[in-house]
Amino acid sequence: MRGGALRGGALRGGALRVGALRVAAALGGAVFVLWAAATLTFFGLRLIPGDPAQAVLGGPGSQASAEALAAVRTEYGFDQPIWVQYLRYLGRLVSGDLGSSYSQRQSVASIIGSQIGGTLLLAVLALTVAWLLALGLAVWSTRGGRVAAAVGSGLEIVAAAVPHFWLATVLVLVFSTTLRWFPAVSTDAPAGLVLPVLTLALPLAGFLGQVMRESVLDALEAPFVLSARARGEGEAGVRWRHVLRHGALPGIALSGWAFGWLISGAVVVETIFARPGLGRTLLNAVQLRDVPLVIGVVLVVAVGYVAMTLLTDVVSRIADPRLAGVRA
Amino acid sequence: MPLRHRSLALSLAGLATASALLLAGCSADAGPSDTPATPVAGGTLTYATGFGEPTCLDPHVGGNMPQALVGTNVLESLFSQDETGAIVPWLAESGVAAEDGLSWDVTLRDGIAFTDGTPMDAAAVAANVAHMKDPETASSTAILALGKVSSVEVVSPTVARFVLSEPDSALLESLAQTWLAMESPAGLERGMGANCEAPIGTGPFVFSEWVKQDHVTLTRNDDWTSAPAGATHEGPAYLDTIEWRFIPDPATRFAALQSGEVDVIDEMQPDNVVAATADGSGLDVLTGALPGASIRLELNSGYAPFDDESVRKAFIAAADVNPGIQSLFFGTVERSYSVLSSSTPFGASFEDDYAIDADRANQLLDEAGWTSRDSEGYRTKDGERLTVDFPVSTNQSIPAEVSLFEQIQATTKAVGFDVELHPMDLSSWYAALGSWDFDLTSAIYTKNSPDVLRILYDSENIIPAPSGYHPNNAHVSIPELDDAVTAAGQTTDPDERAALYEKAQQLLADGAYVLPLYDHLQKIGYGDRVQGLSLLPTLQIPYFGDTWVSE
Amino acid sequence: MSLPPVSTVAAVAPADRRGRRMIGPAQWVAVAVLALLVVAAVAPAVLAPGDPFAIAPVDAFLSPRWGHPLGTDESGRDIYTRIVHGAGTSLVIGVAATAIGIVLALVLGLAAALGGRFVDFGVNRLLEVLFAFPGLLLALLVITVYGPGIVTSTIAVGLATAPGYARIIRAQARSVATSPYVEAAVVLGRSRGRILVRHILPNAVLPVFVLVTLGVGQAIVWAAALSYLGLGASPPAAEWGAMLYAGKNYLATAWWMTFFPGLAIVLAAAATTVLGRALQTRGAR
Repeated sequence: MRGGALRGGALRGGALRVGALRVAAALGGAVFVLWAAATLTFFGLRLIPGDPAQAVLGGPGSQASAEALAAVRTEYGFDQPIWVQYLRYLGRLVSGDLGSSYSQRQSVASIIGSQIGGTLLLAVLALTVAWLLALGLAVWSTRGGRVAAAVGSGLEIVAAAVPHFWLATVLVLVFSTTLRWFPAVSTDAPAGLVLPVLTLALPLAGFLGQVMRESVLDALEAPFVLSARARGEGEAGVRWRHVLRHGALPGIALSGWAFGWLISGAVVVETIFARPGLGRTLLNAVQLRDVPLVIGVVLVVAVGYVAMTLLTDVVSRIADPRLAGVRA
Repeated sequence: MPLRHRSLALSLAGLATASALLLAGCSADAGPSDTPATPVAGGTLTYATGFGEPTCLDPHVGGNMPQALVGTNVLESLFSQDETGAIVPWLAESGVAAEDGLSWDVTLRDGIAFTDGTPMDAAAVAANVAHMKDPETASSTAILALGKVSSVEVVSPTVARFVLSEPDSALLESLAQTWLAMESPAGLERGMGANCEAPIGTGPFVFSEWVKQDHVTLTRNDDWTSAPAGATHEGPAYLDTIEWRFIPDPATRFAALQSGEVDVIDEMQPDNVVAATADGSGLDVLTGALPGASIRLELNSGYAPFDDESVRKAFIAAADVNPGIQSLFFGTVERSYSVLSSSTPFGASFEDDYAIDADRANQLLDEAGWTSRDSEGYRTKDGERLTVDFPVSTNQSIPAEVSLFEQIQATTKAVGFDVELHPMDLSSWYAALGSWDFDLTSAIYTKNSPDVLRILYDSENIIPAPSGYHPNNAHVSIPELDDAVTAAGQTTDPDERAALYEKAQQLLADGAYVLPLYDHLQKIGYGDRVQGLSLLPTLQIPYFGDTWVSE
Repeated sequence: MSLPPVSTVAAVAPADRRGRRMIGPAQWVAVAVLALLVVAAVAPAVLAPGDPFAIAPVDAFLSPRWGHPLGTDESGRDIYTRIVHGAGTSLVIGVAATAIGIVLALVLGLAAALGGRFVDFGVNRLLEVLFAFPGLLLALLVITVYGPGIVTSTIAVGLATAPGYARIIRAQARSVATSPYVEAAVVLGRSRGRILVRHILPNAVLPVFVLVTLGVGQAIVWAAALSYLGLGASPPAAEWGAMLYAGKNYLATAWWMTFFPGLAIVLAAAATTVLGRALQTRGAR
C-alpha cells in the first residue's frame, strides 16, 4: 500500500492500536523526543573545543573578562561534575529557563518570544498556499491528459529542485526591482508578505503536488470511486467527495515534516527579505556563535515539530475513513 | 539640479566643502533651482542601517559604529567639531588646559537637563567618566580614549576638572565622540541591563522603544535646547519619530530605499551610489570620510615572512590595487597613500613608497632568499611556502573590499606570494588578531584625531589591553616613531604636531608596514522627501535635528 | 536549503506510473546534464579553457556577450569559466556529503533492521530525535560547534541527511530480511554474516543507489545554501554557492552573477532527481 508506506511517520508506528492508550503512547514518545533532543544538545555543547564558559560568552575572541567567565562558570556549574551540570540543565529547561544570550544581553526565552510570531505567520501562510497550489496542481494534472500530466510532473520536479535562495533572488529581481509590485523588504503588511510566502510555498507545493498526484491517481482507480460512478454520481462530485479527500491524506501526513522544513527555509527567507523572526535570529546566533541562543531556538523548533507531528497524526485519523473506521 | 551631484564631489577638498556647506545649513536638496522649502514639523522617518544592530544602546559599553550611529541623535557630547576638525562647543562652552597640561577645566553650558530631568552638570560629567572607566562597563573605545584621564573633579556645578596622568592634546577631540557622550547619571544607576535598553541623554530625540531584530524607535524631545554648532534652527526637531531598522543585506537595503519603504540608508554599495546619483533616480547620496585611519592593509612585521622588510616591500610593490579600486568602487573612492583619513588633520602621503613594480618585487624576494618556486608557482625558502595568512572579518569589510582582497591575492601570486584569505566572523577574527595568528589584516579604526597614529603604531600597543585587543596589528616597534607620536600627543602647537606626525607617517611608509587603500567613506542614501539631512563632522554621522520630511 | 528530506521521502514515494517508459526526453536531458557535469568536474579545461581565477578589473561587471557568454563578475572573471570549474567542487561536496549521510545511514539502518528488537527500538528512537532537528537546523548546530567552512558544511550536510536515509534503508533491509529466500537461508542454517553479504546487501544496493542519485543533487543545493549564508565555501572559490554569495550584493546591477550559478544548481538538482526517479521506476519493475 503506497499511502501506507508514506504515512509511516515517526509517531504513527502504532497507528492501529486503540484510543487513550495510543494517545498516551504518542505523548510519551513526544516527551521522550524532547528529552533526548535536550540531552543531545547538552552533550553537543561539550564538543566545542576549549573552555565551555568562553563558548557560552561567544568564543575565544569575545574578550570576556575574567569576572564574566567566573560568573558563567558558577551559573552553569562548569566547576561541578558533568552529571550535576546535566541535571541542572534539565531542571532549568523544565522551568522554561533557556539561559541568556551573550550577543543580545537578554534572556533567550524573551528573544524567542518576541521573534516566534513572525516566523509562525510566515510558516502557516506558506503551508496554506503550498497546500492549495499542490491540490490544484494534482487535480488539474490528473484530468488534463498527457500534456497536463507532463507539465504537472515537470513543474513539480523543477519546483522541488529550486533552492529558496535562488527563487527569492529571482522573485525580487522580477517583482520588486523590475516590476515594483511587491517590496523587497518584508513587513507584516499583506504586500510585504507576498514574496517571502511564495518563496517558501512554491518548492513545497511542487513536492506536495508530486505526492498528492499519486494519491489522486490511486483514488481514481479505487473501488469506491468506481462504485460511486456506477451509482451515477457526477464526475465533479466524485472528484470533490472522494478523490480530493483521498489525495489530501498524504499531504496532511507530511505537514509535520513540511513545518520543520519551512522553519529551516525561514533561515534563508528571513535573511533575504530582512524579516525579523526565529530563522534570522538563528542565523545571527550561529554566525556569532551565540551558543545559548542557538540551542534555545533549536529546542523550540523541536518542540514545534513534535507538536505538529502529533497534530497531523490526529487530523489524518479524522480525515482518513479507513483509520476512522478502526477507531470506531 | 546642480547640487544633486555635489555628493559625488569626492576630491578631498570637495568633501570638506560639502560637509561645511551641509552643516552650514544648506541642505542637499535646497538647491537654487528648487523652490525654497519651509520646514514642516511632524512625520516619521525610517532609517535602515547596514552597520548591524547594537547589543546595547549605551555607547559607553563596548563602543562601536552601530551604537554611535543610533546614539548620536539621542546622546550628546561635551564638544563637537567643525568641518576642519576644529573643536567647537556643545554641551560644554569651553575646555582650557592648565599650564602644565596635566589638567583641563571644562566649563559647561548652564541650564541643560537630561530628558529625565537630571541636570547636565559637572557631577554628571564625573559620573559619566567614572562609568566609562569602570571595568564593569566593559568599555573598549571610551576607556582607551580616556587612558590619560585619572579622575574628574567637580569644581563647581558648571566646571568639571579633568585630571590627567600626562598631557593629552587630543582630550577634547576624544570627548567629542559619541562613545564618550553624556548620559543621565540617574539612568546609569538603573544598572547595565536597563541602561542598555534606553540610555537617557540631552539630544533632539529619546529612545522610546527597542524591538530586537526589528527596530529602535526614537521620539522627539520637545524640551531640546542644545543644538550643536552649525545647526540651522533652535528648538525641538521637526520629525515626530525616527524608526531605526536593521537590514543587513546591502542589496535589500537599497531596494527598500528605491521602493520608498525606507527614507535613509547607510553603508551603500558602490554600484548603488552610482545608481542613486543618476538623474531621475529620486534619490540622493551624502558622503563623508570617516575620521581616523584610512582603510589599509597592515603587514604583521612581528612574525615571518613579514618580519623581513624586503618581503614587505616586495608585497607592496606587487599588490596592484588601483585598477580594482577603480572598477569595484565605480569611481566613488579615491586611492589614498596616507595612513590617516582625509578628514583627519596632519595626514601625509608618500605615493612613491607604494609604486607598483613586479620586477623589483621579484628581485627583493630573490635577495631575501625566497628563490625557488613550487609546482603551483609559489615561492619557497627552506621548503616553506611564502604563505600570507589574511583573516578577513566579514562584518568589517564590505563586499567590494573583500573582492579587492581577492584581486590582491591574484596580483601578488604572480611574484610568488600565496595569500590565503580566511573569511571569519567577528569573534574568530578578534581571536586570530589577538593571538597574532595572521600576516595581513584590514582593521578599521575610527577616531577623530591624528592621535589614532599613537593608538595604532606605538610599540606600547603591541601589548594587548586587558580586553585582549592590541591596536598595533602591524607590530610596529620603532623607538623614533614612539617618541614622535608621544610628543605630538602632548604638545598643542600645530606646527610642531604636523612635523611630528609627518615623521611618524614617513617611518611607516618607508618601512612598508602598511598599505593604505582609500578613505573609509560614510555613504548615506536618502529619498526625495527627506530634507535638511546632514552629517555631523565629528564622526560623519547623520544628524536629524534639522531634518524634516515633505509629503 | 531546498529539500533533502524531499529526496528521502521521494525515494519511498511511488514512481510516476504515467511515465512507465523509463527513458523519455526528460531523462535524456537529465543524462546529458549530468554527463556535462561530470566532464566539467573531471576535465573542466575541455569545456572552458580559461583560468577561473584570472582577474581583469577593466572587464568587471560585463553583461553576457560574445566572449563572456554568461558575463563577468566584480573582478572581471568569466562567469561561464567559473561555473564550469566550480562543478568539480560542487560535485565533490555533494558526493562527499551524500557519502557521509549514506554510510551513517547504512550503519544505523542495517543495525536496526538486523540487530534485533532492542537495537531496532534504540535506533528508531534516535532517528525520531534527529528528525526533531529538521533539515538545516542540524547542519547549523554542527556549524555552531565546529565553526563555518567548506569541510564543516559538507559534514554538516551529510549528518543532516543521514536520519532520512537511515529510515529508508531500515525499511528496505527489513523487507528483504523477511523475504522468503532469506527465510530459506536462515532455515538452511547460513550464518548471519553470510546472509547479510549474500542476500541482503545485494538487494539493498539498487535502492541505495537510487538514494545516492537523488541525494547528491539535494546535497549540492544544501551545501550551496550554507555557502550562500556565508557558512560554507567562501569567495573567491569557484563553488556555486560561494559565487551566489558574492553575486547577491550586485543583484540590481549585475543579475547574471547570481542568476547563472543558481541555474547551474537547479539544473544539477533537477537532473539527479529525474534520473533518480527513473532508476527507481526501473527498480520497481
